[in-house]
Amino acid sequence: MTDARSQLPPEAQPEPVPVDPRLLEILICPLTRTALEYDRARGELISRAAGLAYPIRDGVPIMLPEEARVLDPA
Amino acid sequence: MSHATPSPAGHAGASLPAGHASAPRLPRAALDADDVRAAYRFQAGFYDSAFGAVSRAARRRAIAAVDRLPGERVLEVGVGTGLALPHYCAGKRITGIDLSTEMLARARARVRRMGLSNVDALLEMDAEQTSFADGAFDIAVAMFVASVVPNPRRLLAEMRRVVKPGGHILFINHFAAERGPRWWAERALAPASRALGWHPDFMLAALLGAEDSAAATRHTVPPFGLFTLIHLPN
Repeated sequence: MTDARSQLPPEAQPEPVPVDPRLLEILICPLTRTALEYDRARGELISRAAGLAYPIRDGVPIMLPEEARVLDPA
Repeated sequence: MSHATPSPAGHAGASLPAGHASAPRLPRAALDADDVRAAYRFQAGFYDSAFGAVSRAARRRAIAAVDRLPGERVLEVGVGTGLALPHYCAGKRITGIDLSTEMLARARARVRRMGLSNVDALLEMDAEQTSFADGAFDIAVAMFVASVVPNPRRLLAEMRRVVKPGGHILFINHFAAERGPRWWAERALAPASRALGWHPDFMLAALLGAEDSAAATRHTVPPFGLFTLIHLPN
């Protein structure tokens, strides 16, 4: 259920809109309830524990596992 | 897995998580997240005029209750098209979540159009499994949501988790009458649950267990006493 834009390589995407830092403080991974890393360049919130990257679209984190990108196991 | 009575909508396939067995057996069709998304995607265009008018007094009552409570960080669960957002007092900072992308798009447009600076964020999330840290809010309010989610007890548990101890939880909802003509009408409408996106036959006991029920304060709200405001200290 990823949209066409998130299939593009990061360099082909417009500069991501930053997320409100106050919001980042209260967000956790909905699956593992663990802290998230903010990848500002890619516009994603990374849950290492779940192996998922939650997309940020227009500055809005999409905290739905079915919308998330599965991280490479590397 | 024990299921409630056979689903009138022929939709018995939805699996219920463990722990649901303690919930009472109720004449409810199982609604899953996709049903809810589909119903509200369809309703997004006319939701405000159709449902907005009927629910207006109840919504205003819930907002007034939020405004009177201490604490500024408010979570609105099921923010929808953001009908409530312009009416909170400026001292409350609102974060809204909803499962419907289409409804949230309308809520964002409303926030932009009206310049609502006390709305912190509008996020797409599952109300039963949010992405907020424990105790992130002082108050959580769910308007017309309890009868929509697949598992109301899990909704309440999640609201309890994200509200700090000593905070407040509010619901405003239509709860089915337990007898009389409205009971019959609501039972008759139940098979339409999937199309409506909510359960006309939703009962308070599906949301509150005995302990919560004892701790809750309830107020009936016009029109026609259709809606009830419930306040639970956390």
